[in-house]
Amino acid sequence: MTVKRQLSMVLDLNKCIGCQTCTAACKLMWTNRNGREFMYWNNVESQPGKGYPRDYENMGGGFDADGALRLGRQPSQEDYGIPWEYNYEDALMTGTDPWLRPNVKPTWGANWDEDEGEGDYPNSYYFYLPRLCNHCANPACLAACTRNAIYKRQEDGIVLVDQERCRGYRYCVNACPYKKIYFNEEISKSEKCIFCYPRIEKGLPTACAQQCVGRIRWIGYRDDEDGPIHKLVEKYKVALPLHAEWGTQPNVFYVPPMSPPKFGENGEQLDESRIPLSYLESLFGPRTGEVLDTLADARQAKADGRGSELMDILIGYKHSEMFKLS
Amino acid sequence: MTSKNIENGRLAKSIGRLTGTLTLAACILASSNLLADHTDRNPNVSEVKAWDTVKVSRIPDGIYLRTQNDPDDLIWDRLPKYRTNLLPAPPVHQSVGLRFDEGSTRGKHVYFQIARSDERLYIRLHWKDASEDRATTVDTFSDGVAVQFALKDVDTSYMMGTDHENPVNIWYWRADTDKVENLAAGGYGSTTTLPQQSVKGASAYVTSDVPQKREWQVVMSRPFKSDGEYDVDFDRETIPMGFAVWQGNDSERDGNKRVTHTWILLDTSLNGSTKN
Repeated sequence: MTVKRQLSMVLDLNKCIGCQTCTAACKLMWTNRNGREFMYWNNVESQPGKGYPRDYENMGGGFDADGALRLGRQPSQEDYGIPWEYNYEDALMTGTDPWLRPNVKPTWGANWDEDEGEGDYPNSYYFYLPRLCNHCANPACLAACTRNAIYKRQEDGIVLVDQERCRGYRYCVNACPYKKIYFNEEISKSEKCIFCYPRIEKGLPTACAQQCVGRIRWIGYRDDEDGPIHKLVEKYKVALPLHAEWGTQPNVFYVPPMSPPKFGENGEQLDESRIPLSYLESLFGPRTGEVLDTLADARQAKADGRGSELMDILIGYKHSEMFKLS
Repeated sequence: MTSKNIENGRLAKSIGRLTGTLTLAACILASSNLLADHTDRNPNVSEVKAWDTVKVSRIPDGIYLRTQNDPDDLIWDRLPKYRTNLLPAPPVHQSVGLRFDEGSTRGKHVYFQIARSDERLYIRLHWKDASEDRATTVDTFSDGVAVQFALKDVDTSYMMGTDHENPVNIWYWRADTDKVENLAAGGYGSTTTLPQQSVKGASAYVTSDVPQKREWQVVMSRPFKSDGEYDVDFDRETIPMGFAVWQGNDSERDGNKRVTHTWILLDTSLNGSTKN
């Protein structure tokens, strides 16, 4: 789908500390009310893990090799996690309940398997993966909507749901392989990340990017050759889409995480990274190894005092250089 | 007791046993009769096929409906009942096509009655549905029924109208809100909620120990005269009409539904006159 310009985001997974400040910023701004309580337009998952909604990677959706929509499984409320509240008043104020407890039995949530990861000590590993709508160039949600209620803005490629046209059929929820479009039971319509377009229109970055304490997020237009997105995605080719094989052409890209070497039986360092390359490739595709080598070289150059434009961008000295919205 | 008497006793017992067996068989036969849909033999139900004309019944002036849209009102026992077969709607979008599976190839009968008083036009519909699906949640879909009327003639596409020049007016009852939506469409994908929500309705889910006997009953009605641009004008010779049913537990919504293929024609005139 051609648009005049495409806004895009790059996230450096080497810098994410899993603090969920982005999640909280998004939730406070958009999803803590009116039937959206279970929705996390932005969430941070520990990988390897089942993610949010639970096991979304195996729910189907997206496109097949011929470009035809693939049928998916509709997530249940339990797959998202039913939001719970605590009895603060009874437990802490009036003392009528001796226990502080949730009002529903929690069984899943947006970061349920936090820090579990995989592997055995000393070779256990995990990393954080923040996820939001990819504002795809070929959005499966848009293709699946029978009412043309989903559209992609010409000026910045942001994918939005026209709330007037949506009749809550949920084909979009099923079709998005990332499960980043949600059904609001209160209004019987679908809703999703809007890339904070009211902020973007004022020249401000998204709330998740602005609030990120690890400064892992860059925002800009794909065609801005002086901007950070073009440099990270096209020039240095270190930012990769998540699950490109699903065919939606995401516009959110990730700098894959490097990891220390594995330990051998006698505590010696092996020539093998702690996070298995094959696992990263299953997320970010076959170029992952090449990207990790590029990153290692740039890091070494910086350490040697030789200088590296790539490392300078990734360090993210100034917000004004990280967010280029014009 | 003589040996003959003993023989007789045995005979009586075996006859008794046989009678018991026969009674049981008759019961099974009777209940299977109940389970099977034999309303085609019911003289009070007329089979309606595409292009047949159905004449509106009159609710006499003296009859007073206690509750306007009561699906269980006695009046409905006294008015002609029709039955028509609904078949899966042809998929017109890949999302619908993906869900057009073997299970949905079965037809479904919908029973309908149409009556008018001087002021209102009523449609009562009932259809068998073993599951009562009232909730619309992230992964469940609610039952529904709709009747559509072409605003113009029979050349209008029965698939949600042809275009904005040849639209349809749709009355859509949905189990989740238990309300009737007054809609218009001019081609698939164009369904629009109308500003005047003049159609009212009520429903009842009749349950039974036998799942096959459970059914929805819905009455929808609207003032006979209506001046909304996309509200069907009943003051016409014949009005093309069609039905649709959505089965919530089959995840049916949108174009995943069973519909009347082409049109049934509605004659709203009283005593052969097209005038009111």
